[in-house]
Amino acid sequence: MSYLDSPRLIFSGFFQADVSTINNDVTSFNNATFSDLFQQLNFDGSWNPEGTGIFRLVNCRITGAQLGGAQITENGRDQVIGMALENADDHVFGKLVDLDPQQQSCSEIWGMGLRLTDSAGSTVFSGDYVTAAFINLWRRQQQDTAPNDQELAAVYQSVLNRVQWSGTPSSAALKALQRASEDGELSINMNLYAYGRDPGIPRYTLGRVAGVIGPYRSGEPKHFVLGRQMVAAQGNGLSAVNGVFTFQAKVDAGRKALTADFGNSLQIVNADGAFVDVGPLAMAVLKTRTDGVLTSVAAGQVAVLGQVAYRQPNWYQQTAGIQEFDYSADSWCVANIETYPLLLLGQQNGGNYNVLIQESLGGLYVRADSFVYRLEPNESKTVELYTTQYGKPISAAITFAPNNAMIGNAAPANVEPPDVATPADGVSYASALTTDGNGRAALNLTAGVMSPARPRGYIEGQVYAVGYQLAQQPAQTIMNMWNFISVLVFSPSDVPAQPTWYRNIQPILQQYANLYPIMSKHLVKLGDYDSVVEHLNILKLAFSLPIGDPNHMPVTRDLSASNRAMIMKWMSSPGHDGLPLKGEPATAAVPPPPMATQPTVQLVLEPIQQRGKTAFVLGLAARAKAKERS
Amino acid sequence: MIKLRRGIIDGIRAAKHRSDLYYYLQKAVELEHSTIPPYLTALFSLMPGYNDDIQKLIHSIVVQEMLHMTIDGNILIAIGGQPQINSPDFIPQYPGPLPMSIGGKDFIVGIEAFSKPLVLDTFMVIEEPEHPIPVKTLAVAAEEPEFATIGEFYDAVKKKIVELGNSIFTVGPDKQVLSWFPPNRLFPIVDCASAIRGIDIIVVEGEGTSSDPFQTPGNPAHYYKFGEIYYGRKIVRTPTGYAYGGDPIPFDPNGVYPMKPNPKLGDFKPGSQAYTRLAEFSFAYSSLLNALHTAFNGKPDNINVAIGLMYELKMLAVSLMQTPANDGTNRTAGPSYVYVDAKPT
Repeated sequence: MSYLDSPRLIFSGFFQADVSTINNDVTSFNNATFSDLFQQLNFDGSWNPEGTGIFRLVNCRITGAQLGGAQITENGRDQVIGMALENADDHVFGKLVDLDPQQQSCSEIWGMGLRLTDSAGSTVFSGDYVTAAFINLWRRQQQDTAPNDQELAAVYQSVLNRVQWSGTPSSAALKALQRASEDGELSINMNLYAYGRDPGIPRYTLGRVAGVIGPYRSGEPKHFVLGRQMVAAQGNGLSAVNGVFTFQAKVDAGRKALTADFGNSLQIVNADGAFVDVGPLAMAVLKTRTDGVLTSVAAGQVAVLGQVAYRQPNWYQQTAGIQEFDYSADSWCVANIETYPLLLLGQQNGGNYNVLIQESLGGLYVRADSFVYRLEPNESKTVELYTTQYGKPISAAITFAPNNAMIGNAAPANVEPPDVATPADGVSYASALTTDGNGRAALNLTAGVMSPARPRGYIEGQVYAVGYQLAQQPAQTIMNMWNFISVLVFSPSDVPAQPTWYRNIQPILQQYANLYPIMSKHLVKLGDYDSVVEHLNILKLAFSLPIGDPNHMPVTRDLSASNRAMIMKWMSSPGHDGLPLKGEPATAAVPPPPMATQPTVQLVLEPIQQRGKTAFVLGLAARAKAKERS
Repeated sequence: MIKLRRGIIDGIRAAKHRSDLYYYLQKAVELEHSTIPPYLTALFSLMPGYNDDIQKLIHSIVVQEMLHMTIDGNILIAIGGQPQINSPDFIPQYPGPLPMSIGGKDFIVGIEAFSKPLVLDTFMVIEEPEHPIPVKTLAVAAEEPEFATIGEFYDAVKKKIVELGNSIFTVGPDKQVLSWFPPNRLFPIVDCASAIRGIDIIVVEGEGTSSDPFQTPGNPAHYYKFGEIYYGRKIVRTPTGYAYGGDPIPFDPNGVYPMKPNPKLGDFKPGSQAYTRLAEFSFAYSSLLNALHTAFNGKPDNINVAIGLMYELKMLAVSLMQTPANDGTNRTAGPSYVYVDAKPT
């Protein structure tokens, strides 16, 4: 069960991602070369240096509902229409957190609570958003509405847990959803797009969201749908080759309906969100099986399930791009849809259709459910993987290998950022696994004790990317480039017997003070002994909260357990004056240089573009080419 | 001098049962809270790196108001009451009179950026002691007999508590909020003696004593701290009494965000940055009141969640004060302290 099942609620509105931008450049982590200039607005494209990290929904309302095959869009038919999807009102807002400056393409939402509220403002249900990273980042917006618009869009799929209902709702759609969430969990999907980065516009730090809430059953994947996977080839700058991007769908054989999610797969013109009109689009089933990538098919080769209604007014707002195709009248489909590939067809050309996107070849697919991990030295964590064919679990062999194509940039073109994924033994894992009869396997990721301890020198830890694929798959298979596992391995360190401010604590806290001026200018001057000591109690609390707590410090979740233990020890071990030990200036170890760096590159970017995901991706590609040449 | 209706005092004196005191202690909680938004706003409006001494003084006052609110809340809890914190009525309407019409209906307190007139005309009026000690350069307002003072209010509460006796203390420390302040200033309220000790802390920290403007040596009561800020010098003892004649407390008006006074959501265009951030602030403030309500109604540990919200509120306030109001002036937006959300049913 997932948000693609019934019943589901559609919501629409805005989100705020008040991210800080100084840390988008890895060289900002170098305390030795940091300058106060870096904290100024627009310095090197730093468009929000005083960002708070807050992620929250803004003005989101229920704009549609789906119940028993019926699409509801009017309050007169069901009271749920018009209700507000609000943030939790009993703790701080959620936070948006990059894994690392050198892996910014899987930003996670931490500590967010959501509530559905009725017209009186009373809570109907509330739940905690299970931490999730975005996936399927692509250039969805074709033109800027404002300077420096974020043209890339992405999707978050997760689960609300600890769902609590305030009694039995009177809305039929909500009653059905309540029954479907007896485990206390709901599936939630959010398409984020049209994000604004120009400080002069109302949309600054805001973007649009089209989302869905539906049933979830425990034991199923939380971050993708166990269904049919349409995988797009990607072109330059994260564009989709045929203008339609990767999406998922699900067959309900009982109701004889296919439900497809186009929410993050259709281009929009600009930040207003209108679709690019690419002519008629149709969902279809190919009546033959193929191991090849199709560019066109004859009309007779396909069973057309129906037109995608994206050109109808309000369609996206009321459906979030989810459409059902009833195939009950087509006996061939009834008999075959679960074993033949799906296609999305474009314009007809003299009896042939253009194939814009097709199902993973052979219907074969492998996916890691969670794909962002933080590991302490010697720590192991388990990655749940699923293998499917045409959406049904199959037992299959998966192979694993480093896949560093999408990590490692985040520096201006003219500097050499630290290399990533080195030393190679920073994280280890099996090279192959076979899923069980339920299509499931668990991969153990185990961190090593890195040597050198700080392979990147001025920034602790190291990032790795673990690629995976089916051992047996057609040669032409198009892989979803975002299907890899991102790992941050923390640097090993010992907790000294008597940590002091100058030797041990200040170098760590100064980095946070540099990178997050909203905190260091206005709350606690983290680089200043007196200010830290003055706020000792609140810091002790914030540093001791679990990582999932919305008040966890640091917000960036990038402090190793040993450094945390050292800071806690320092705060709790007063010297003769009753205050934490200050020690002697200039006793801190100077970080070593990075063990390896990447080449400088030529990049033509607008000044304002330099700290964004586009720059990140373009820089990656350029550095990869430069490496090949060298 | 800050005054309240004589009828309030009469009401306290007429109390027959501990539950008759609930209303007045609830009002005391509201009163102590009501000074926090204006003080905090003035504090937040001071840019980092400017006016450090003034920032420290106001900060020390606000933190004590938080303590006073907590003590009042604990006394109310200890005698079986339930502080009501998360409702629109809990918050005064700014600009407007304080709870119990303290200072009279015509005494209006608003939400404004720091200025010396704000300190003199509002903050020093709020904090003026029952018997102010003459400090050189300071005029003393004449007392109007039909009104009572905050000092009398707390004095009446103390007397009534003693009269009703130790048996009214029925709810123990496990339901009281007792963290974040040193135990000599925030302690369990278990009997008349501890309640009176708590009230004395409120009165002395706010007003000083009738003979000494200092709450502790070197640490003036609120009224005199604001006097130091206004007159720009530390208060010192002189051969004839006291004077604002000590070390200078400089004020640099360039270090104040030019915040529009009494910002309200309706002042801004829906969808504008100022509107969106103001709505965010009011939401987070309401969340803070929700978290405090939970802490004061059976889950004292929830004060830690509230503390997190307080820090977030400061970040949001500062963001607002850097967001143009777009009202044809060079002013910026600022916080609005309203309760925006109905509670779960």
